[in-house]
Parts: sequence; structure tokens; C-alpha cells
Amino acid sequence: MKRVLAAFLLFLGLTGCAGRQASYTADFFAMDTFMSVSVYGSDEDSAQQAAVACEQEVNTLEPALSRTREDSDLYRLNHAEGAVCEVSEDTYAAIEAAVQYAAFTEGAFDPTMAPLTDLWGINTENAHVPAQAEIDEALSHVGYENIQLLGDNQVQLLGGAQLDLGGIGKGFATDAVFTLLTQQPEGAATGALVQLGGNIGAFGENPARDGGNWVVGVADPDNNAEFVATAEVRDASVVTSGDYERYFEQDGKRYHHIFDPKTGYPADTGLRSVTVIDENSTRADALTTALFVMGLDDGLAFCAENNIAAVFITSDKQIYTTDAVASACTYTFLGEEKGYTDAQ
Amino acid sequence: MKAKRLTLCGMLTALAVVLSLVERLFPLDAVVPVPGVKLGLANVVTLFALTRLSARDALAVLLCRVALSSLLMGSVTAFLFSLFGGLLSLTAMWLLLRVEGRFCSFLGVSVAGAAAHNIGQIVAAVLWMQTGAVVAYLPVLLVMSVPLGLVTGLTCSVVLSHMQKIDFNE
Amino acid sequence: MRSRLKWGDFVIIGAVLALAAALTAVLAAGTQGGRLYAEVWQDNVLVERVALTDATDRTIDLDGHNVIVLSGKSARMESADCRDQVCVRTGTLTRAGQVAVCLPNRVVLKIVGETGEIDAIVS
Repeated sequence: MKRVLAAFLLFLGLTGCAGRQASYTADFFAMDTFMSVSVYGSDEDSAQQAAVACEQEVNTLEPALSRTREDSDLYRLNHAEGAVCEVSEDTYAAIEAAVQYAAFTEGAFDPTMAPLTDLWGINTENAHVPAQAEIDEALSHVGYENIQLLGDNQVQLLGGAQLDLGGIGKGFATDAVFTLLTQQPEGAATGALVQLGGNIGAFGENPARDGGNWVVGVADPDNNAEFVATAEVRDASVVTSGDYERYFEQDGKRYHHIFDPKTGYPADTGLRSVTVIDENSTRADALTTALFVMGLDDGLAFCAENNIAAVFITSDKQIYTTDAVASACTYTFLGEEKGYTDAQ
Repeated sequence: MKAKRLTLCGMLTALAVVLSLVERLFPLDAVVPVPGVKLGLANVVTLFALTRLSARDALAVLLCRVALSSLLMGSVTAFLFSLFGGLLSLTAMWLLLRVEGRFCSFLGVSVAGAAAHNIGQIVAAVLWMQTGAVVAYLPVLLVMSVPLGLVTGLTCSVVLSHMQKIDFNE
Repeated sequence: MRSRLKWGDFVIIGAVLALAAALTAVLAAGTQGGRLYAEVWQDNVLVERVALTDATDRTIDLDGHNVIVLSGKSARMESADCRDQVCVRTGTLTRAGQVAVCLPNRVVLKIVGETGEIDAIVS
């Protein structure tokens, strides 16, 4: 009898240890933003290894996607004055994705806006409204058609175009981190919450919730520590672009950082933010910008046509969701107290 | 004598495993979304064993039942929950049986056993899932354990009185 | 029959139901305020971790660059000497998962604790 009992207690002890859920969070600064990767797994060591591997992956990607580092591929490409350049595989893949989504959104998202953002100087000391002539000049270099993907990692920029992958960089990194997480040893990363700036990636199972979903709050544009809706997701990315992230004020008018490639001015479409829920974070990243530029009506039509899950928040506090939202996540509108209306 | 006891223990274990299987027909998961949580119908057997045999035999039957039913259909979680629930339930009923007849009846013992079973399961779930969140389901389970315990207690007492009629014991 | 109800049976049933009621009450009170902590990180180093209770009242001054105010179960970046002021504009944090980041000074104020209503905010 005693022996049986002892055997049972031993078994109990063994299984008790094996089933413990551990987590590790890696917080770091990269790509000019704050990032946080929380990995949940069977034991703390492997969760930590996975989280640190994610951090390293982002740090490896950073130079491949940066245009400001002088040793980066994009810097070389932008200063090649139209010559053909060979870039790294990661950079090439990211440029390919950027061109793909630029074509998909008919230029509403455009990775060649660098001359304009530089001209406006958003987020620098000398942010200002440029003269119309300057804007026209900068606009003449904008156009994703100027990017020539020649295969074999060879890229050429025509017409004085300058590449900026900032619009998809964090999405691209989120996707890379997801790929890395799936490659972890069995049980090492059963779930992860990947927060790369404004890009949220919900990977696998959330052990802290019944059903294992991750609940992502959609920020209130007026107070982005609060949220006006929640999206319950799993193995998906949630990305928001809003006019409140980066902006400056001049003569009492607010100028934000999302530019319309047609006008060269910050997109003035009556939208405060656009959130996209998609399995592909790069796509979601590009689409939030594109939909913000398109505006509510065109954006909603585009989403309906292409089955995109998006949440639009307008400046008159209306929240619109597309049909695809219901299948992409469990969406809950919570903005009533904050004065928002569910426009559906 | 020893052979008879052993046979009885074996029969009770078999019965308990069958009851564990029957239990699966009740979709308790819909009310309490913790995988592995069960009603505890097999408590009837534990109560019977405690009354007719000894605490030692009841424990043996319990451990065998938990191991067998987990092997048959369960996961490691189901095993753990059953074991914790079963042990706590056994202890509670064993203690209360000593005052049964004076302080309370069989029904009270059974209700306490059912409640203890659920407390044990939730304690196991807390340890297993490393989150206190599952405690939220305990009140529902406790309330449910009252009618359930009454039913199992009644069943057991009916069975016992029949056993007495056929002079089963010795 | 050994099932004739005795007074003790009612005591047991009563005790079980009372336990259920007491647990419900405790849980209801608990969800009002699960354990919350404010964490202050500077250059990827945890400089402060403070449990937030109703009585919390503290000001953390990071050499004048960033001033963080912890008040009751909330935390906010009171001021920062950076240009963009994104962290100050983030406002008051009250839930686990909320973060205020001062990028230029590499200071992060985050709320951690029991899983609350949300896991993250996308902005």
C-alpha cells in the first residue's frame, strides 16, 4: 500500500513539473521604437531562449530595413543615383513585398515617400510646412513604379526615387518573428505576444485566457492608453495607423505623418485611425497606411472588394468595421462611454 | 477472507471506472470550461467502500480507479484533477463518517464529499495551470455539488440497505 | 435507510453554500483590483517596480529627464524633457498591458500584473 502511494506521489510530482507554464518577456528598443516579445512555453529556459532569439532576429533585420544607417543596403541604394545595386536577401524580400502592396493599393501605400517625409521633417527639430514648389519637386520623385526589381537581389531606382521601408518594416519583422517562433522546439513557444511598436502579433495559445485567445485593445485616438474596442485574435497580427502617433503643429493646424502620395500633404480624410487584422503583418502594416490615405468611403469599398478586416475611426467619433472583421477575430465595441458610436 | 476482500475491491474499482465513463455523458465542460473537471459520480463507490470496507481499501480502489480511467480516456490533467478531487473527497467523507448517525446522515457525508471533490479538482487546476483564474468556477461547482451529493448519498444508502437485506457483508 | 436527514446535514449543506457565496464575494472584490505593478525601465534596465494599491502615492524622478507619478492604482508620465512628448500624451495607465514609452530617453513605464481585460493595446 505504501509503495503504491509513493509511486503515485512520484508520478504526481513529475507531471506537476512538466505541466508548468513559464513565460519570458524581452523588452528592447529597435527600429526607432519600443518592442516587447513575451513568449510562453513549457519551461522558462526555452521561453527565454525563444524570446531572445526573437529580439536577435529583429536586431538582424533592422539594418536590412533601415534607410538612415550609412552601412545599410537601403542607404547605398538611395545614394546610387540610379545605378543597379545588389541588396541582401531580407532587403530584397521586403522591397518585393512593399512593391506588391503598393501595386495592390494602387499607390495609396507607397514605399518611395522618403523625399516627402524628409521635406516635412516630421519628428525632427525642423518640422514645418514646406513651400508648394518644394512639395511638387519631392512628389516628382515619388512613385513605386520607379522601383525596378531585377531578380537575383538586384534593385534599381529610377527617376530619383528614394526607398523607405518604414511603412512595412515592423510588419516584416513581426512576420519574421512568427516564422522563428514556429521553428522553436516542441513546447518551447506555445504562445507569444509580439509587440513591435504599433504592430501586435498574437502567436499561438494564450495560457492566461480560456480559449487561448489574445485580447488586443484598439486605442482611443484621443487617449491612446485607453481603448474603444477589443479584437480577440490568435495567430494573427493587429496593426494600427493613426494621426496621433507623430505630428507637429503649425499656425494652430495639426500635421501628422501619414502622407497622401497624390497631394504630398498629410492625408486629410476625416479619419483618426485605421486598424487592420490579418494573418500577414507586413500586409496589415501596408494596408493601414493605404486605407488611411484612401479615406473612409474608398477604404471601406476596397476592404469589401478584397475581404480585408479593418476598423476605421473617424474624427466625428464613428467606428466602422468591415464584414471580414467578424471572421478574423471576435470584435467587441467598447467606446460608448468615451463618446464613440458603433456605425454598424 | 483476504480473497473476498480483494475480489470486492476489484469489483468496486470496475464499477467506479464504469461510473467515470458514464460521467462523460454529462457535458460539464459547457458550464465549467476547465478541461478535465468532472461531476464525481464515482464518489458513490468511494463512499460505499469507506462504509463497507476500510479507509485503506477505499484509498486503494480510488487510486486504481483514477489510474485506470485516466489511462482509458483521460489526459494527464484529467488524472491529476481526479486524483486531487478523489483524495480530498475521501478524506472529508472518512472524517465525517465517524460522526455519521449522530451529527449527520449519509446525505451530508456525500454532499461534503462532492464539495471536497470539486475543491480538490480546482486546487489541482490552479497548480497545473499556474493561474488563480480557475477558482472563479468553484462557486458554481460547489452549488452543483449539493444536489449531486444528495443523489449519490441517496443511491449509496439505498444500495447499502439492500446489501443488508441480502446479508452481503460476512 | 441511513438517509434520514439530521441537523448536521443542513449544517454541511449550509457550509458548502456559504463557501460558494463567500468565494463569489471575494472573487467579485478581487476583479475590482487584481494585483498590479508599475515598472519603470531605463535603457532596458528595470529601475523601479512598485505594487499599485489604493494607497500608492509616489513620484519617481529620473534625473529630471522623466518624472513618473504613481497615484493609487494608476501611473502616468508626468513630464519628460524630450521633444515629442509621446509618453506624456499617452496619459494615465490603469491596466496591465498598458505602456508609456519615452523613445528619446529610452524610458518605459509599463503596468504588469494579473491578466486583465486586454493583453495589449494597438496604437
